Amino acid sequence: MSIFRRIVLFIAAVATVASHAAPLVDLFNERLKSVVAVEFFVQDEIERHPVSVQGTVVDANGTIILPGAAIMPGVPPGQLKDFKVYRPNNTEPSNAIYLGQDALTGWHFIRVEEKLRSQLVPIGHYEAVTADPVISEELWGIGLRNKEEDFMPYFLSARVALVTKLPQKTAILASEVAGPGLPVFDSGGRLVGLAQTAFGQNFLLFSRNQNATPILLVNVEESSVVLLANEVLPNLGRIPQSVTGRPMAWFGAYGLQPIDPEVAKLLKLENQSGVVLSDLMEGSPATSAGLKERDIVLALDGQPFPRLKPDRVVAGYFGQELLRHHPGDTIVLTISRDGARQDVKVVLGDEPKLVREADRHYFERLGFTAREFLTTDGIANRIKPAEQQGVIVQFVKPGSAVGAAGLRPDDWVREIDGEEMKTYEQAVMKLKQIEADKSRVEFVLLVSRGGETSVLRAKLN
Amino acid sequence: MSRGLNRLLDAVVRIDVREITFEDGAQRFTGGIGSGVIISADGLILTNAHVASPRAVEISVTLASLEQVSAKLVGWDHWTDLAVIRLDLDEVRRRKLNFTSADFGDSAALFPGETVYAVGTPYGLARTVTRGIISNNNRPFEDPRGVNGFETGSFNTWLQTDAAINPGNSGGPLVTDDGKVIGINSRAYIGAENLGFAIPAEIARRVSAELVLHGKITRSYLGLVPGALRDLEKFYSLAANTGLLVNGVDPDSPAARAGLRPGDVVLTLNGQKLDGRFPEQLPPIQNSIASLPVGSTVRLGVKRGGQSLELSAVTEKLESQVGDEWAFEKWGVSVRKVSRTFARENRLADATGVIVLGVQPGYPAAAAGLVRGDIITKIGTAPIAELDTLKKIYTTYEEKPEAQLVEAQRNRRISLYVIKP
Repeated sequence: MSIFRRIVLFIAAVATVASHAAPLVDLFNERLKSVVAVEFFVQDEIERHPVSVQGTVVDANGTIILPGAAIMPGVPPGQLKDFKVYRPNNTEPSNAIYLGQDALTGWHFIRVEEKLRSQLVPIGHYEAVTADPVISEELWGIGLRNKEEDFMPYFLSARVALVTKLPQKTAILASEVAGPGLPVFDSGGRLVGLAQTAFGQNFLLFSRNQNATPILLVNVEESSVVLLANEVLPNLGRIPQSVTGRPMAWFGAYGLQPIDPEVAKLLKLENQSGVVLSDLMEGSPATSAGLKERDIVLALDGQPFPRLKPDRVVAGYFGQELLRHHPGDTIVLTISRDGARQDVKVVLGDEPKLVREADRHYFERLGFTAREFLTTDGIANRIKPAEQQGVIVQFVKPGSAVGAAGLRPDDWVREIDGEEMKTYEQAVMKLKQIEADKSRVEFVLLVSRGGETSVLRAKLN
Repeated sequence: MSRGLNRLLDAVVRIDVREITFEDGAQRFTGGIGSGVIISADGLILTNAHVASPRAVEISVTLASLEQVSAKLVGWDHWTDLAVIRLDLDEVRRRKLNFTSADFGDSAALFPGETVYAVGTPYGLARTVTRGIISNNNRPFEDPRGVNGFETGSFNTWLQTDAAINPGNSGGPLVTDDGKVIGINSRAYIGAENLGFAIPAEIARRVSAELVLHGKITRSYLGLVPGALRDLEKFYSLAANTGLLVNGVDPDSPAARAGLRPGDVVLTLNGQKLDGRFPEQLPPIQNSIASLPVGSTVRLGVKRGGQSLELSAVTEKLESQVGDEWAFEKWGVSVRKVSRTFARENRLADATGVIVLGVQPGYPAAAAGLVRGDIITKIGTAPIAELDTLKKIYTTYEEKPEAQLVEAQRNRRISLYVIKP
């Protein structure tokens, strides 16, 4: 046997071994093109709050989705600044713009600049599994270290512990399998789903002078919760049409309390679930349709509510089903009222302005931000729509005059200098005048907080 | 030591109270120690409302002679944190016991810096005398949960002293060096040094007399929450030292119905000029309103911006936000009736329902998912308008335990629960 032949044989042997062991690392390296690290900051009135999250590439136009928890609800898009996208193992930033949040999935969408797009591969490029993963199946995913470590990618794997509906189909793994917001694959590299924000885990904390204090720990770097591909893929195209995420369907009940199996049994609603309605907003689609507090909703468009575990998931299910609709859609709810069943047609409305969309103005000299009064403020303050006026305090500068006078965020300002404020515009104009008047030494606010009213006097210097 | 002070010591008693609580989903008994001072030859003892309350099931008094005698509650008033109990005189006579009674001094004549003594039972150390001075003789001190969850301090100011006051001093007298009672020690800042507070004798004398007569103090309620004007006079274009600023108006109160609004300034009350410039001046004004007969018409001269208004309101009976309490032990839940005041403060539609004070783990109410703070509004189809309604349902349940559908509100969101045997 010639040496040449031996070498060939040797190479052949190596190749066979490699073809068995190499794919995972190859799959891993290939799929790194679909994950990115994203940095931005939230610019509020006086401070910047840097945020670092991870995202998954969803199309060839450089669109990237971030987990819903990446941005606190209520933060106006205008305060989101300086989105930077980084590829794993790379500290070269690329600029991105914020596209908005999708109401149904909660995902935030951003779009990265042209130059990086050719280096990215949309997650849909990879084959996805056709069946749900089974218990004990081993899955793997990608984790990213932080900026100091050049967003170095690392490999994670774990076995499926259970698959459940929350209300979307979700696999819970025995340990962390990927960074939150990053994809998860099976051994063949097929897409299984997207890692979600991790769930809290209960621990007991023992210390020298305290026995066993229960604490909840949330892993912010890695997650073992995976939203399955058939819940993810159909929604990847839900790029918000506007930065506000509209259109959004509105129902108008703020209390949706699940019924538990014991209650269902007593009400003779076996193998059924439902939600009790309360906190109905006057003038909302729900009340216009004749729905009342204490009605139990049992089915939507003829589909009975499934029994989900834990019970409270059914409220999320109902909320999600509503969000699949558009403003103006008619839905049919089957309800139980005083023991009798009936169908109620509801024409969904357009979601009233959300906190993040509300007009606001920061008065630097006065030291606070006034924002317009919203429907949700009416709910929080128990105010009938007809009585909703004035402005809400969104922010109070620490150590400011109004802070010293006792003004707090969420306070409801009803009068300024003894003058009743009917509209946001009126209040802003009044406050601008006060702010511009350098000879002013003080101004007076009438504010409500938790149903109690007080007159606050702020000294200006 | 003066003879007066010596004699006073024989009038100071230790009070041991066993009381019922409904905190944890069950009826429980707890014990507490306080102090008191005998104020009459027929065995009336003045103490704090947070020492002796209607929750007391057993009151035992230790006289200066160290003999123990039982006592009964005569009446209490959490607003001023005062209570009157009476020694069991039959027992005193039978056992041939002796005691002395103390005299009130003039609390209005006190001046800051005057030497005073606190006498009582701090941490169970009976007959402890501490010395200090009057630190301030006019301290406003309102606390909406101050007396075991009940409101206190809206109708009087307090004496502040640096005489050491510790837990257990409560209800004991604050005296001048001639042994005259000028205050009833009631509270201190825990963790602070020598910041103690006493109810002035002037108030104590008046309240105790009425408690002896009626067992309770009835007050009028208007629903006006005052705020100190301080130097807002200019803003409201007022002469100095005139008017009472209306900081808030309780919804659905007589003041609200009369049309009074926050930001109004009340210049006169039944023709009398008001001066609420400083926080110290507010409790006496509140007290003058509270002292009006219930159901009387109050004329309010009001300034609103440039307008002058004459409003009139009819007072209601003042009620605490704390309602009656009870425990349903087989369900493992203790409750407190929603009072009108509670409903008003929490913006509930009406006073229907009972608030869950506590649940016992493993019992039906806890198993159903009820938690502290939930408001039970309905059982089956019966609205719980009164505590008695719930008691009746419970009695039926005790005789024939059957699953009960419970409607409760949490943060005003309605949920259904099943309590089952």
